[in-house]
Amino acid sequence: MSAVTKEEILKIANLSKLWVSEEELESLTHDMGEIIEFANTINSVSDSMEEFDNINNLSNVFRPDEVIPSYPREKILQNVNGGEDGYFPVKKRS
Amino acid sequence: MKYELVAGLETHVELSTKTKIFCGCTTAFGGNPNAHCCPICIGLPGTLPKLNERVVEYAVKAGLATNCRISEIAKMDRKNYVYPDLPKAYQISQFDKPLCEGGYIELSNGRKIRLTRIHIEEDAGKLVHERGDTYVDYNRGGVPLIEIVSEPDIRSIEEAKEYLEKIQLIMKYIGVSDCKMQEGSLRCDVNLSIRPEGSEKYGTRCEIKNMNSFAYMEKAMKYEFERQADLLDSGEEVIQETRRYDVESGCTESMRGKEDAQDYRYFREPDLATIYTSPEKVEKLRGELPELPDSRLKRYTEMGISPADASLMVKYQAVAQYFDTAADGVNNPKNVSNFMVGQMFRRMPTEEEKERCSIASTVPPQNLNELVKLLDSGKIRMNQAKTVLETMMDSGKAPSELISAEDMAGINQDDLMEICRKVIGENAANVADYLGGKERAIQPMIGAVMRATKGKADAKAAQQILKQLMEAK
Repeated sequence: MSAVTKEEILKIANLSKLWVSEEELESLTHDMGEIIEFANTINSVSDSMEEFDNINNLSNVFRPDEVIPSYPREKILQNVNGGEDGYFPVKKRS
Repeated sequence: MKYELVAGLETHVELSTKTKIFCGCTTAFGGNPNAHCCPICIGLPGTLPKLNERVVEYAVKAGLATNCRISEIAKMDRKNYVYPDLPKAYQISQFDKPLCEGGYIELSNGRKIRLTRIHIEEDAGKLVHERGDTYVDYNRGGVPLIEIVSEPDIRSIEEAKEYLEKIQLIMKYIGVSDCKMQEGSLRCDVNLSIRPEGSEKYGTRCEIKNMNSFAYMEKAMKYEFERQADLLDSGEEVIQETRRYDVESGCTESMRGKEDAQDYRYFREPDLATIYTSPEKVEKLRGELPELPDSRLKRYTEMGISPADASLMVKYQAVAQYFDTAADGVNNPKNVSNFMVGQMFRRMPTEEEKERCSIASTVPPQNLNELVKLLDSGKIRMNQAKTVLETMMDSGKAPSELISAEDMAGINQDDLMEICRKVIGENAANVADYLGGKERAIQPMIGAVMRATKGKADAKAAQQILKQLMEAK
């Protein structure tokens, strides 16, 4: 039995606002199941997630509250063809 | 049936740091759309968030000012949801290890509204809807927020309002936010349910999203309370759902039901390190807190100031600071508050003027202090002081410049006696009335004495002398 069900795949697709066809659902369920099973091997090492929490042992990596100039707006909007009146337009879903 | 309201609030407070929570872009309100942005706050792949230290400090201060425990270990988590105002498709927030837990806000009726937690997170961008199209401005995206979550301890709309007003005042006092509802730097979601009066069991709740004014919150809660009561009265059930308040219709309407409830799939934000707040750091930040509104209010009422006047002054931190300086070393601080509430507030009609105590630029608190001390020492009388204060507010002059040595000398007993005799002589009708048992007939005569002495006489002494003279006749 796969580590992931078809229903779970559909739920995640819905939360991610993705549409999945019937054929894709089969292969996705299979592939995702294999990924989860692979990731599950980590559970055989330890019962406690705590031990994997913050493994890099870093704490308090902070930045001072100092203003850095923002990017020019053309740069910010370059991936949406320059935007519209300075805004990002939201594409309508068909 | 009679129902009791049960509510809990989730309050979002925008912090007044100079920069955003994870990048150095400015948090300034307004500005051209998307002009305060960089690859980090528009969520481009490959960028790394860097946590602003002041955000952590402000949140800890907010926790300390609301009686919370500060977590020694806290971490950031990703809250996943897909919406155009959130370019990464997740919000960096805190899930199971928030910075602050377990505080409370005490209301004037003595009830304590418990706080579950306070956590830090990033604000989303702003959607602009125009002619059926939607546009996004990410200037607000990444602005730091604290979310203050209360337990369902609120039992009326009045309590909800007072709770929110207290949060607003505390956050302004400690300088972590300007809490301007009209600019969106203070907004809240209300979780509301009802239950038959006397019942202990909670009913099914609805969440009303994004109240951005006290008036709307009041209307939305009132509407929602009645809606739920109507449902239960007609034998129907309240459905757990998220609702939005529509300003136009004055109604709340369903946004999404329980079946569409968001599943945020929280997990640790791997790009940000653990936040460790040492007890020393907590004490340092506690030391930076000013006197809080509640303690100030208590101090003022203990001075003998009426609760109404005390709250009015405490409501504006600059006014309260003015009072503290003006009341320094005076015999009766109530004189100071009376002058301030009775006369000076009239010169500051707008909220904005009261916020910054604008009268201080004309009458520095030291001048009011001087005036009240002259009153204390008996060098001037109350009605004289009132007139002098009006002149001080008109001219900006100090009491010493306005009151001559002659004025301060008051009036001697012999002169007062002489004036009283004269007044009695001129008011035969009143004297007859008084002696005939109409005690009030003495009032116009006291007034006449005060006019004749230009307010320098003590009204009580004048009354005494008038009585003696008339009764000796």
